[in-house]
Amino acid sequence: MAKLRLDKVKPLVALGVFLAAWWVIPTTVKSFMQVSFAEFQAPAWVATSYLDDLEGFWARRSHSKVELIEAGRDLARIKSLYQFNAQRNRTLELEVERLEAILNLPSRREFRYEVARVIRRDLSAWWQHLIIRKGRDFDIPVGAAVVFSGGVVGRVVEVDAFTSRVELITSPNFRIAARFEGDERPVVYQGAPQSGFGDPVGSVRDAPQDIMASRQAPLQLVSTRLGGSFPPGLSIGRVTWLEPGSSGIFQAGQVELDPRLLSLHEVAVLISLSPTDSVNNAP
Amino acid sequence: MLLDPRAIVFFCANALLLFLMLLVNSALAASPVYLLLLGPMVVLPALYLRHQSYFICTLFSGLWVDAALPVPFGLCTSGLLLCGAFVFMTRSRFRAEHNYHPILIAHGLNFFMIGLLSLAAGFPEWSSVAFWIQVATTSLASHGALLVVAPWFFNFERMLFMLFHLENEPEELPLL
Repeated sequence: MAKLRLDKVKPLVALGVFLAAWWVIPTTVKSFMQVSFAEFQAPAWVATSYLDDLEGFWARRSHSKVELIEAGRDLARIKSLYQFNAQRNRTLELEVERLEAILNLPSRREFRYEVARVIRRDLSAWWQHLIIRKGRDFDIPVGAAVVFSGGVVGRVVEVDAFTSRVELITSPNFRIAARFEGDERPVVYQGAPQSGFGDPVGSVRDAPQDIMASRQAPLQLVSTRLGGSFPPGLSIGRVTWLEPGSSGIFQAGQVELDPRLLSLHEVAVLISLSPTDSVNNAP
Repeated sequence: MLLDPRAIVFFCANALLLFLMLLVNSALAASPVYLLLLGPMVVLPALYLRHQSYFICTLFSGLWVDAALPVPFGLCTSGLLLCGAFVFMTRSRFRAEHNYHPILIAHGLNFFMIGLLSLAAGFPEWSSVAFWIQVATTSLASHGALLVVAPWFFNFERMLFMLFHLENEPEELPLL
């Protein structure tokens, strides 16, 4: 009879022992276990991503020659436009450098762009993450900014050997300094819980009282140099209304984000060419 | 034997279920639907295996899930072990060789895991209506999907036993 009772509570005893052991185990051991398990899973996701690419390749192979010729013509037009823009960009950069030299301004942070394919999207009530197909093999650092053609995507929060995890701008844990286009005063952008219905949204706070936003005249929220991870001027989203915040001194409102954030296939990771000093946050 | 070979089969099936779940969620990212199908992972190991094998299988499955999802490492492991302990202690009441009881248990455990993740999200999220709307949508979609996935998954696990010539009966049949 006593044996029977012991058998009954065995699962609870084992659970208790596990919880006690988990509490005692050093964080380094837990991190090692987490990394080991994650690295075991990564090849499956990378393989799936390459299979997707292969599927796309075969899908394009089935296109007719006429379609390919038309696509090539369109690409040539876009290429010539980009070549012209690149020339213009180079001229403007030289002009900026010349003015900076005249004014004796401190040098700006420079970034290199690492384009990476999105292999998994994890967008739920509890987390808002992307997994990209580049990791330590491409020197992706934790905290690096991630962008796409529509603006800010998020920030790298975890780097593995061949993959990295990106926290999306929609995540409530994501917060950056921002400013409204045409206004130099900083505000705070923070992600917000998503209902899943409608376009993604975020929130802005600490906006000065004199700033007005409406649906007819929305304000564009862009990144600033403050914080160091993001270059200035990248689009974050659109603000169509502002109301007095909880303090009464500043305003707060909702930021409408780019709906393409939810179906990204490719992003660019910005890797600083002059890594930030983690203590002083200075290059 | 230290480890029942069926524990390895259960673990591999759990890894496959998680992979498929994340694959579907990735494809449905632009829609409000998100599937969380962790409930079925513990049911048959707790009903079929001896305690040692069940514990090792559930522990490794939990760590596998924790590494794949952006949750505090150990949260899903603890949750699955807690669920498993409950099912293991009451397993004499359930018929493991048919799907009816395992499906009901899977729904209960899945709901518990959704609750656990929502609890772990923290206070700032709890105060948001949008968060609860998405949790409700996730719960509905997940339990709707479980109606189809759970029977398939349990039959798949039993089919793997047959494929690998393993014992297809639970360790302790319920007392009738």
